[in-house]
Amino acid sequence: MKKRYWRCFVCNDIHYGVAPPELCPTCKVLNAYVEISAEEARRFLEPSAAAPAPPDFRTAIESFAAGQVFQVNPDREKVDLLLKGIAENESNHGLKFCPCRLRTKDWAEDQRLVCPCNFTIHETYKGVADGECWCGLFVRRK
Amino acid sequence: MAKLIMFHGRECPHCKKMMPLVEKLEQEIPVRFDKREIWHDEANADLMRGYREALAPKCGNQLRVPTFLNMETKDAVCGEVEYEKLKDWALKQV
Ligand code: SF4
Repeated sequence: MKKRYWRCFVCNDIHYGVAPPELCPTCKVLNAYVEISAEEARRFLEPSAAAPAPPDFRTAIESFAAGQVFQVNPDREKVDLLLKGIAENESNHGLKFCPCRLRTKDWAEDQRLVCPCNFTIHETYKGVADGECWCGLFVRRK
Repeated sequence: MAKLIMFHGRECPHCKKMMPLVEKLEQEIPVRFDKREIWHDEANADLMRGYREALAPKCGNQLRVPTFLNMETKDAVCGEVEYEKLKDWALKQV
């Protein structure tokens, strides 16, 4: 299934997916999305000086994991090392690539290596009682 | 002596944990691992990519570190493994 671009006609949120959200998460209007071109999406997503800077990555993943069945690893030393690697990969290779895997240079495959990845399917996590993502950045919440 | 490689990442905690075990193993039995860091050295990364067909099936269909590879037989073991498991694997290679 091919992903396409969609724009909310009310608040201009951009969605990239096989189908648009029924309810716009920003303006809460129903059935508000119209399909647009990649170019239109790119122009709407161009960084805006008005947009606030995102939180640092540690804060972002802490709030991503809040209330989930997994949490950021309480092992601070491990997390510090991983965050350093993720930051270095972003500055050297353009994206927050996983420090414990290698990108293949095939973009479709390498999208799965951007942290956080979908680690819930990793054999180190799925069905494992004290499971963790391949790197151990996320662990099953105790 | 068999040509063994350890692919590792500088900021990979599993690799950090395995490194002293690998060094201990090198003292204990006659093996040497050529240690190749893959995130800060593109030549090493390309070398690892070159072995993708042999490595990926053993590593969740991906290129993961740490990975230990026998360059000749293409036998490989992947991830943070027990010392004894690595030793058994290495002994099979010599
Ligand atoms: S395995 Fe863990 S550290 Fe690596 S990309 Fe996935 S979530 Fe991030």
